[in-house]
Amino acid sequence: MAHNLRNILINLAGILIAFLLGAVVMIFQGYNPLETYEALFGYSLGNTYSFMTVLKNSVPLILTGLSASVAFASGPVNLGQPGQLLMGALFATVGGLYVDLPSVLMIPFLLVLAMVGGALWSGIAGLLKRLFNMDEYITTLMMNMIADFFTYWAITYPFFEKNANHPQTPRIIKNGWMPEIGDFNTNFLVTLIVFIIIWFIFYRTTNGYEWRISGKNSLFARLGGVEIEKNYMHVMLLTGALAGLAGGLIIMAGPHRFIKGLGANYAWDGIMVSMVANNGIVATLIYGIFFSILQTGALGMELITQVPSELITVLQAVIVLVVVASRGYFTLLLSKIMTKRKLKERSA
Amino acid sequence: MTIFIGLINGMISAATPILLSALGGALTYYAGIFNIAMEGMMLSGAFFAVLGSYYFGNWLIGMLFGILGALLIAGIFILFSVVLKVDEFVTGVGLNMFSVGLTTYLLRQIFKVKGAFTDPGIYSVPKIKLPFIEKIPFIGDIISDQNLIVWIAFIATLLVNYFVFKTQFGLRLRAAGYNRICLDTSGVSSDKIKTVSLLLCAVLCGFAGTYLSLGYVTLFSENMSAGRGWISLAAVILVSGNPIGIALVSLLFGLADGLGLYLQHIFPSQFTSMLPYIATLAALFFYSINNKKKMEVKL
Repeated sequence: MAHNLRNILINLAGILIAFLLGAVVMIFQGYNPLETYEALFGYSLGNTYSFMTVLKNSVPLILTGLSASVAFASGPVNLGQPGQLLMGALFATVGGLYVDLPSVLMIPFLLVLAMVGGALWSGIAGLLKRLFNMDEYITTLMMNMIADFFTYWAITYPFFEKNANHPQTPRIIKNGWMPEIGDFNTNFLVTLIVFIIIWFIFYRTTNGYEWRISGKNSLFARLGGVEIEKNYMHVMLLTGALAGLAGGLIIMAGPHRFIKGLGANYAWDGIMVSMVANNGIVATLIYGIFFSILQTGALGMELITQVPSELITVLQAVIVLVVVASRGYFTLLLSKIMTKRKLKERSA
Repeated sequence: MTIFIGLINGMISAATPILLSALGGALTYYAGIFNIAMEGMMLSGAFFAVLGSYYFGNWLIGMLFGILGALLIAGIFILFSVVLKVDEFVTGVGLNMFSVGLTTYLLRQIFKVKGAFTDPGIYSVPKIKLPFIEKIPFIGDIISDQNLIVWIAFIATLLVNYFVFKTQFGLRLRAAGYNRICLDTSGVSSDKIKTVSLLLCAVLCGFAGTYLSLGYVTLFSENMSAGRGWISLAAVILVSGNPIGIALVSLLFGLADGLGLYLQHIFPSQFTSMLPYIATLAALFFYSINNKKKMEVKL
């Protein structure tokens, strides 16, 4: 418990430092930082509607974040979330264009299709590693670029919408849209269920235990009888499926069609979320929502105070760096203080 | 013949930024740093090069600004990874995002545009005409009229090669990567070596960025480094940092890029644009197959 509290305090301190740095930048540019932050949070948390938007926007952040966290904590350096997201989105879109089922069947069908799309893309990288020992952190990155061009091609030629000004597909069939309850989009509900499942697998099953041990010390895990190679493939497929699901839910909740540049906004966000969350599953959920608050509020900030919304991208990067740095620094500081105290106790 | 010359020139111009940033990556590779911030250094360099060239009406100052822009990112890298001991991978990813954010933010703040900025007031880095050689058929068409930065990349390859393998600093650089503790105990601070290697890497990435924005085009567009930093990282890993090897691999990637432009008449451009990334995967594939064979021979 004391450990958790300390963790929370360190994270808050890191975020505070990052915001102070942001404020300094704003003062230099002649903006009022207090007004700016007020506009930022007012726009994303000011009323129920805006908070519902925050939840809806947090879905791709949380799911790609979970994908990265599970991967990094288990060993495989899967950096392919952007590509896997795009393939998931494409699979869901194509399914939604050509298949017509009642909603109850259509939505699960498209969600599974999205996961298959993502898992296919991460599975290729996994196979390349297993068969030819090609490092996944390079292959997944290259496959991100390939997925980018491939989906661009798919929406320009085979699945394009006639008479559209720029490359995009037609809308998917209405039975595949995520239902809304008032302002609440059920895509967040799906995310929450997935979060619980992942948490359970990761912390409460033998598989999850094996993954975590392999991530911490693969030699120890191997000597303990863990089948590293099989687990590697499972983790790659699962994390690809998570990123693919993120893509599918973007399509089904948001524009209901594949538009050019769809994944660009989420490119590295999942990896950033997992890093700042130190690959913790619960922390990934919280930071996913927090980053969504920042991104959703960025628009309001720009509308009210004229501070360009791009500042938030800078702020996010600063938060990641400062929080990770202060985590290391404060942990070191605390253990120093503890050691001194122990020494005193002994000498007394 | 003209097609062939065009292909070679396309290859050289596509290879130049990858070669420069990969040489920078090689220096940090030897120093034992897992440096993935080349992408961010290049992007920042590309932006500040345009800034300098536009405000001072001078390409030389543009190039200087490009280098300073890359050094800015390197400075933050040093602060976090060398001083504060943050994980190098986290620092790299954070800084790449920081560069994307910083350049798009400044693009709007300073130039009041979104997406891309171009202006007749931006001066590009000149091409070098070689007076007698340009008359020689074929060879003249290739060697003469290349951009100044192409020559810088060529010279940098030789310099880095000499520097790493033939100087005292090069020895210390490799020692820092090979056995950091041993170097520290012999009285040379490995942190200092790492810092210098990162700064040199930034200078090279600054040239690479300048080439992107003031070399074959005169504009800055959002995220214009487009994964070249990652390709250069792959190049470094493929040849374990050897500068001459890096030059060859960069030319191979450049060829894939140049070939893509020609194949656009036959295939959709989306597929031809994939070529450099597929070439990277292919190169990695052959590298791994080769490694496997070597291991089997040893066993």
